[in-house]
Amino acid sequence: MFFIYLAILAVVLALTVWVLFDTKKLSLQVTAAMVIVPLLLRLLMIK
Amino acid sequence: MQKHTITAIICLAGALVASAIAGASFLSMRTPDIIVRGPGVTEVKMLSDWFPGIKGTAGDTEVYVMKGADDGESMLVLGGTHPNEPSGHLSAILLIENAIPKTGTLYVIPRANNSGFTVNDPQEGSPQSYTIQTPSGPRWFRYGSRATNPIDQWPDPNVYIHASSGQTLSGSETRNLNRGYPGRPDGTLTEKVCYGIVQLIKQQNVTITVDLHEASPEYPVINAIVAHPKAMQLASDTVLGLEMQDIKISLEPSPVNLRGLSHRELGDFTDTLPLLMETANASQGRLRGRTDAALVLTGKDKWYVRAAKLGRLYVPYDEKGHPIEERVGRHVTAIGEILNSWNLENPDKPIEIENLPGYEDLQTKGVGAYLLPIPAK
Amino acid sequence: MSQEFWLFILMVGVFAAGCFALKWPVSVSMLLASVAGALAGGVQDPIRHLVEGTFGYVDTIMTIATAMMFMTGFRDSGALEALTAAVIKKFHKLPGILTVLLTFVIMVPGMITGSSTASVLTSGAVVAPMFMSMGMSAVDSGALISIAAILGMIAPPVNIPAMIIGGGIDMPYVGFELPLILLTFPLAIVFALWFGWRKVKKGDHSAMLSKLDFSTLNKYGGLRLFSPLIFIFVLMILDKAVPRIFSLGMPLIFILGTALTWIAGKRFNILKSAKKSIEDVMPVLGILVGVGMFIQIMTATGVRGFIVVNALSVPPALLYLMIAISIPLFGAISAFGSASVLGVPFMLALLSQDQIIAAAALSLIASLGDFMPPTALAAIFGAQVVGLEKYGGVLKKLIIPGIIIVVYAILFIVFSKQIRAIL
Ligand SMILES: [Zn+2]
Repeated sequence: MFFIYLAILAVVLALTVWVLFDTKKLSLQVTAAMVIVPLLLRLLMIK
Repeated sequence: MQKHTITAIICLAGALVASAIAGASFLSMRTPDIIVRGPGVTEVKMLSDWFPGIKGTAGDTEVYVMKGADDGESMLVLGGTHPNEPSGHLSAILLIENAIPKTGTLYVIPRANNSGFTVNDPQEGSPQSYTIQTPSGPRWFRYGSRATNPIDQWPDPNVYIHASSGQTLSGSETRNLNRGYPGRPDGTLTEKVCYGIVQLIKQQNVTITVDLHEASPEYPVINAIVAHPKAMQLASDTVLGLEMQDIKISLEPSPVNLRGLSHRELGDFTDTLPLLMETANASQGRLRGRTDAALVLTGKDKWYVRAAKLGRLYVPYDEKGHPIEERVGRHVTAIGEILNSWNLENPDKPIEIENLPGYEDLQTKGVGAYLLPIPAK
Repeated sequence: MSQEFWLFILMVGVFAAGCFALKWPVSVSMLLASVAGALAGGVQDPIRHLVEGTFGYVDTIMTIATAMMFMTGFRDSGALEALTAAVIKKFHKLPGILTVLLTFVIMVPGMITGSSTASVLTSGAVVAPMFMSMGMSAVDSGALISIAAILGMIAPPVNIPAMIIGGGIDMPYVGFELPLILLTFPLAIVFALWFGWRKVKKGDHSAMLSKLDFSTLNKYGGLRLFSPLIFIFVLMILDKAVPRIFSLGMPLIFILGTALTWIAGKRFNILKSAKKSIEDVMPVLGILVGVGMFIQIMTATGVRGFIVVNALSVPPALLYLMIAISIPLFGAISAFGSASVLGVPFMLALLSQDQIIAAAALSLIASLGDFMPPTALAAIFGAQVVGLEKYGGVLKKLIIPGIIIVVYAILFIVFSKQIRAIL
């Protein structure tokens, strides 16, 4: 189950990065960057 | 390159830098604090020696075996069941570095939830460690999370169902070692660690098990000893013995309907006499002010002083706080008193342990006086 | 005034300035308020603390993100529109009963999962177009969906705020079913009629019926088209009924449901649909991340203790007033956070009451946190599923119901022993 959830998290993270590069709104980009941090650290199994 | 691509790269770079700085800090939590083998330690084993199912996992943890010259009964002390309750962890370390068993065997697990020592609870603002001055220089100790690291056990279910009783608790309690007893060999990591501790107790025929905790000052069960019915006599003798030393401690029977706790399940599922003890720790409370290593060590907190005046607390609280010397002193003295009470009732099969730090000495000399120098590599 | 007071003013001030004066998004304003608090409060290791706080919401982020992916997929497959058409056609002659029934339908996912977001984004999204084609305004529909969602979160069998409050005083989650039903079901009926009864059109429905589009329904058939919804309901129920065998968890259930929407109805680009859903939900995810930082800094600097102890400082007669005000206000951060940070200390002050009823009532008050900006998850998503850009209108409609809910819950606490005697 752990790795299934990491896979789901990876999907959410990938979509977040996609939004970051696709949107033209700076506010949305900053928000996406904030969301990336915890998702990335969990995906790397750091925290 | 388009403008929004440039800003996206800048944002992503910012996220990566923040992740790198915080990530390095989180990774540093994986380095354990150093525990020095005291003169009484005869062997350091791993919990996986009793339950191989946790070998190589973050749940596997050191078991310090301290055998006396004569065989006899035995005692198991659990420190760090909740790694955010430092007096339990430190008291266990003081036993390892000082105690000398004469008759019987002392088992000490200083990091009962080893995984919980590698992380801090989010939104609690906890320090990652605290430092104690000793004659040979400063020594630091880990301040961890109440529960198992999510990296080692994730995700939590919506609702935690205690395996043997079916009792339900909020999902995050799945990672609480003291809700997982008697544990399961094929359960979550937390349940496996519980199962390992139960195997140790069963295979070594441990006579008495003491689980060391702290509680927030607003919590009703505090400065207390909680006993399973079959350990009630031992506990009430201990309470009397402590009163003779002017240490006030309340005696609470283990609630029948609260399942998964050491003082309930270890008594129901093994032959050991289980006791759990609580001291007052401001750094885990909901009413505390600034949270840092100083609060962990001194317990000095103006909001708790105010809450005490409002009658909201279950321990006296003033400007002097509840320093770590007092909290460790209570635990270590109570362990000595438990042994005294046992030996008085069972003179034919005593557990005799010498060189335990005394309560008054701890107050005057400090905890550091009882911590050994770290040997050079 | 204490240092904590000024820190609190500083953090709230920076947040308000960013949010209202500079029109920054809530997430960014929260981030800057947290940074300001950390620097002014002399927090050591500020970046570690800021990032650590966000981890309180990683699981919530995954649930919300996947729920949103499911909802978007269900809509893009044409199932949402078709389901509305089918239900309205069958039940348009009984609008009053239908409103009450639909309100309970919205509650079900929240009852099973303990999450108001699950309610709004699944059955709430399904019911929203039905409410509107029955004649309710978008704002009214959004408000009723939000209310049903938080009542669903509190209604048994799963109530996470009650578990959090119980956990704080070592009270097992046992015996809560009846008090929680008494707390939630009457309110659900009252609010369903309040918003629905007067608003839904009676009489001639032929014009409305003629507008319904049955083409997707006729092409794929109801069973196939609605199978993703049935599928996730079945999985949620299995998760609750046989947790030892199933225990998939909501994010996985929603992901599986999303995959099914792709093959059940009209063809659509699942990657674009998923990306659109994350884009739509990003402001909310950002708010959660920002709030996580905010709480961590409040806790590390002692501002949290300042708030809690001051809330407990009122004379006993005003305790209930303080409960009624402070728990929903703190819920601005999150309903679960409020249950933990304030619900537990208040519960400890209420130990002389019937504890189960008091904890159940406190959990209902805590649920109102999901109406409280800036997080306001229930209100934001409630507005989103009825197609409103801004949730301010929905929020206004929630003020009086919110007050009624608080008063009802407080009465349960005050008369907990008398209520226990009747039960
Ligand atoms: Zn504890």
